[in-house]
Amino acid sequence: MLKYLLNRLVWMVPLLVGISLVSFLIMHLAPGDITSTEASFNPKTSEESRQKLRELYNLDKPVIVQYGLWLKRMSTLDFGHSFASHQSPVFWQETDKEGNVNKGMIQEALPITLLINVLSLGLIIAIALPLGVISALTQNKLPDRSITIFVFIGFAIPSFWLALMLMYWTGVSHNWLPISGLHSLGAEKLSSFAQLLDTLKHLTLPILISGLTGLAGISLFVRNGMLDVLHQDYITTARAKGLPENTVVYKHALRNALLPLITIFGLSIPGLIGGSVIAESIFAIPGMGKLFYDAVLMRDFPVIMGILTIGSALTLIGNLLADLAYAWADPRVRKGVAQ
Amino acid sequence: MNAILKNPLALAGLIIIGIISIMAIFAPWIAPFDPDVINVKNILLSPSATHLMGTDGLGRDVYSRMLFGARISLLVGIVAVGIATIIGIVLGAVAGFYRGWVDTVIMRLVDVMLSIPTFFLILAVIAFLTPSIWNIMIVIGLTSWMGVTRLVRAEFLSLRNREFVLASQTLGAKDSRLIFKQLLPNSLTPIIVSSVLGIASAVLVESGLSFLGLGVQAPQASWGNILTDGKEYIEFAWWLSMFPGLAILITVMGYNLLGEGLRDALDPRTSNNK
Repeated sequence: MLKYLLNRLVWMVPLLVGISLVSFLIMHLAPGDITSTEASFNPKTSEESRQKLRELYNLDKPVIVQYGLWLKRMSTLDFGHSFASHQSPVFWQETDKEGNVNKGMIQEALPITLLINVLSLGLIIAIALPLGVISALTQNKLPDRSITIFVFIGFAIPSFWLALMLMYWTGVSHNWLPISGLHSLGAEKLSSFAQLLDTLKHLTLPILISGLTGLAGISLFVRNGMLDVLHQDYITTARAKGLPENTVVYKHALRNALLPLITIFGLSIPGLIGGSVIAESIFAIPGMGKLFYDAVLMRDFPVIMGILTIGSALTLIGNLLADLAYAWADPRVRKGVAQ
Repeated sequence: MNAILKNPLALAGLIIIGIISIMAIFAPWIAPFDPDVINVKNILLSPSATHLMGTDGLGRDVYSRMLFGARISLLVGIVAVGIATIIGIVLGAVAGFYRGWVDTVIMRLVDVMLSIPTFFLILAVIAFLTPSIWNIMIVIGLTSWMGVTRLVRAEFLSLRNREFVLASQTLGAKDSRLIFKQLLPNSLTPIIVSSVLGIASAVLVESGLSFLGLGVQAPQASWGNILTDGKEYIEFAWWLSMFPGLAILITVMGYNLLGEGLRDALDPRTSNNK
């Protein structure tokens, strides 16, 4: 297991270098100099901040040196300071000369996005799993057909439209749920439990949106996985030796069908992180997606580059965790590694 | 072709896409009003016989704007996927045919691109360019070729050592002949299926970008930016958000049905239980 872990960690190094190279190339896509007025219609980009940008990315040095310096700064997780937002540090908090602590922008946004994604993954599992299993057990019959139609709609529904419709239905016409921000006005006066409840209410719609749009893929995946497994010889054996159908389905088939799901969750991380842009900007949730969207609108380059890099690193970590979980859950992989 | 017409999924998809394409192509003749003409007297009219889908906050006819928006969605989808497919075929063919270090380099590049959250990547590139319909197509194309590359490479790897390929190699066929006459034609089915499914996701990405104000720019109509207006008026004009959303849903579903149907119809292996 340890050897497997080390192996995977070593694999991540060339990927990280590649990611840094791609981000670096994107930065140089801008016509001419990224500090030119052409590339920044943001009026806040003053001559002073342009000078800062030149210093930050060493734009006066040769390209290869620029990349080397960028890689060096990235390895110490130093992404500089935001242009747009009062010079806040992009990644992690800093203490200034007077001893005040300035929180990092990603530091504040990341936990919110992670919380939304973890909760919506929970929602996906809770709904998609039973749907997939029912679909597989009633293959080509009415329940399966209806679930398949639902899956096709789920694949095609634009998340922002679903968000607007839910916002209209639950927020505007029934006034059940808040439709914007993380806290109600005056929430700081409430008890901490009431504050928590208030935040959860604000998070309900964003979680529903990212959960509902992810449902279709996972339930189809569970269905096909179950169908594959149900046709295996060991299932026939289990049935032949007279095990009750429930034991066959839930103990023998389901467990094996769920294994690849671990990998699928790992692979869906970049989609979830990227998808947070839409849900968070619609509901004004101050997470990574909203932060990134605002940075793009303001052409706040240090924040864009910081989130791009941190988002990719999170993806790599997520994939690593998924692989480790797979190895832990599947003795075939675990033993294969030990040999 | 017969197999496609006999498959209910593919047929349904084909009909949906056909109708929407006809409406998009003939938009200037079908549209009852000029999509860009502002009429302050007709602001936010609900759907009626004159304005089938009502009017927007500037008094423009939503139905006409929807028809012109269809052109944008289909064009962006097809061109973006065209770019992605060409890149994917070239890289996948080189990797699968020559193997060795070229293969390693290309596959690592695929891994890198897949590690960067796609929507972030697209937005980041757009931040450095001016948003326009051409830039959107190129950006979506340049960020979605990884799937095709893997697919083509896998097909090439499995076909490379088949008898018919080895036979023509033994007879002295050049690499280019092997690639274009033998390997590529035999890999077409999965490429076509993934392209059709790719158009569906490109349509979704384009409308999402336009919705966020980073895609097709006003006054040019796209389904995404009609929805942006819909968000503004959601309390009093449901039609502004309802129709563009439905149009995106139906179009994307059409391409998905066509893609899945083609997969079933053209590939006997998957037609039994998946």
